[in-house]
Amino acid sequence: MAKLSLMFEDKLVKEVPVGGRPVGIGRSPDNDLPVDNLAVSNYHARVYFEAGRLVVEDLASLNGTFVNDLRIERATLHDGDSIHIGKHHIKVDATGDAPVPWDSGRKASAPRINETMVLDTKVRRDMLQQAAAMGERTQFAAGRMKVPTLIVLGGKVVQKEYMLTNKLTTIGKSSMASVRLKGWFKPPMAAQINQRDDGYYLAPGDKIPTINGTPIAGPVRLNDGDVIEVAGVRLNFIYRD
Amino acid sequence: MRIASGGATDVGRVRANNEDCFGIVAPMGLFVLSDGMGGAAHGEVASALAVETVIKHCQEAENNPAAPVYGETRAGWNDRTKRLFSAVYLANKRIFESAEAHPEQKGMGATLTAAWINGPRLSIAHVGDSRAYLLRGGNLQQLTSDHSMVAEQVRRGIMTLAEAEQSEIQSVLLRALGSEPQVEIDTEEQELFARDVLLLCSDGLTRMVTEPEIAGALQSEPDAEKAAAKLVERANDAGGADNITVLVIRMESEYQGWFSWLRRWRKSANGNGLAGGD
Repeated sequence: MAKLSLMFEDKLVKEVPVGGRPVGIGRSPDNDLPVDNLAVSNYHARVYFEAGRLVVEDLASLNGTFVNDLRIERATLHDGDSIHIGKHHIKVDATGDAPVPWDSGRKASAPRINETMVLDTKVRRDMLQQAAAMGERTQFAAGRMKVPTLIVLGGKVVQKEYMLTNKLTTIGKSSMASVRLKGWFKPPMAAQINQRDDGYYLAPGDKIPTINGTPIAGPVRLNDGDVIEVAGVRLNFIYRD
Repeated sequence: MRIASGGATDVGRVRANNEDCFGIVAPMGLFVLSDGMGGAAHGEVASALAVETVIKHCQEAENNPAAPVYGETRAGWNDRTKRLFSAVYLANKRIFESAEAHPEQKGMGATLTAAWINGPRLSIAHVGDSRAYLLRGGNLQQLTSDHSMVAEQVRRGIMTLAEAEQSEIQSVLLRALGSEPQVEIDTEEQELFARDVLLLCSDGLTRMVTEPEIAGALQSEPDAEKAAAKLVERANDAGGADNITVLVIRMESEYQGWFSWLRRWRKSANGNGLAGGD
C-alpha cells in the first residue's frame, strides 16, 4: 500500500496511506494530512492515484510544493521521493501501488509525534520569524507585543502606573505586593492578575474586584481599556507601545 | 508559615521508561522537577543530572554563602533567587558538557522547574514546558510560561489556545537545559500566603488533566502526598500518554495569638503522636 509519512526534523509526525480517494495536505485541520505550519496554505496540495500512478498536485498554494527540491504544479511520484511543504517534508512510499479501500487505511494512520525535541537557535529563529511575519497580518498580534500597563486613576498607591512584567501581579497592602496599597484596613492581597498565554486575567484575592463596574467571581480576561476597582483604588488596564 | 509537601512520579501507561525526576529538600523548602528528553535512556540521565545539580548547588550555598554565583543575576533579586538562578545555569552547563563529551548522549536535554521557599518569599526558576501553578482562593494561576513552539504562537496571537491543544507539534520546545551552552532562565519572585498551594508538574499531567480538575483535586485532598498521588492517578486514568510527575506544596498557617500557647502545650503533652511530620 502506498503511504505518505509527514516528517519534521527527521521525526515522524504522521503517516497516512494513499487509498481510493485523494489525500488532502494543508494547514486546515480537516485535511487528511494536516501540516501545522504557517508557511503552509489551508489546502496546500493533494496526492492521489491516477491510472495506477501516484500523483501530487499543488492547489495554488502561496509558498509552493516541492518534489525533490523542484517546485511543481503536478508531478508523478516515485518510491523514495520527498515532498517539501514549508518546514516539513513528506516521504513517499509507493511500494504496492494498488489502491485500497479508504476506511481500512484510515485506522492505520500513526498517532501524533510524542518524542519531545528542542529546536536549535537557528531553526527556532527562522520559524518564529516566519510565524511573526504571518502574525503581523492578523489583527491580534500587534497588541500582544505591547506592554500591558496599569494606570492609576484614583486611590492611594505608591506609583502612578505599573507595567505588568511578572507572571503574577498582586494588588494589596503586603510589602511584597506588586501594586502596593497605602492606608489603614487595606487587605494584604486584594486581587491578582495572572499572565496567561492568551492574555491577562484578573482574579479576586481578599476582595471582589470589579471590571467596568461588574463584580467578578473568578478569573476574567482583561481587555485594553478596562477599568478595575478594588479596595478603594481605580486602575486602567491598557496595552502600551 | 509551615510547609507540607508531597511528590509522586509515574511512568504512565504508554512509555517504557520514566524520564521525569524530582527532588524535595523539605528542611530547605527547595522543590525541583525535571522532564528529560533524548533517546536510549539519556533523558533519564539529563533529568537526574539537572535535579542533582540544582539541589547540590543550593545546599552548598546554604553552608557557604561565599560560594560562586554563576550567570548574570539581576540586582533586585533576593539571595535565594540569585542562587536558584545560578543553580539552573550550572545544570544547563553540566548537561551540555556531558552531551558534548559523550557522543551517544547527543540531543539529550531536560526541562527544569524549581521553587525555593523562604518564609513568605517564593523564588521560581524555569526552563521548558513543565509548569508551576499557584492555587489561591480557588483560582489556579500559572506561574510559568511554556517554552514550546505552540505556546509561543499563542502568545504572539497567531494561534488560539484550542488550536494549540490540537497541534501535532506540542512536543517541540524552544528552550531546554542541555541543548546549548547557555540558556535563558525565567526567574521570578512571588509572595506566598497561608493556604496557598503550589503545584509543580510535568506535561504528562497538564496534557491529560484539565486545570479545573487539577484545582478540584487540590482543594478536595488536604494531604499533600495524597493529592500528588491522586493527580498522577487522574492522568493515568485519562490515558497516561507520557511520564507524570506532580509535587504539591501546601502553605499552612501557624497558630498565632491568644491560643498558640495552648496548642504548643497540647503538642508537647502528646509527644510525637500528634506532631505532624514534614
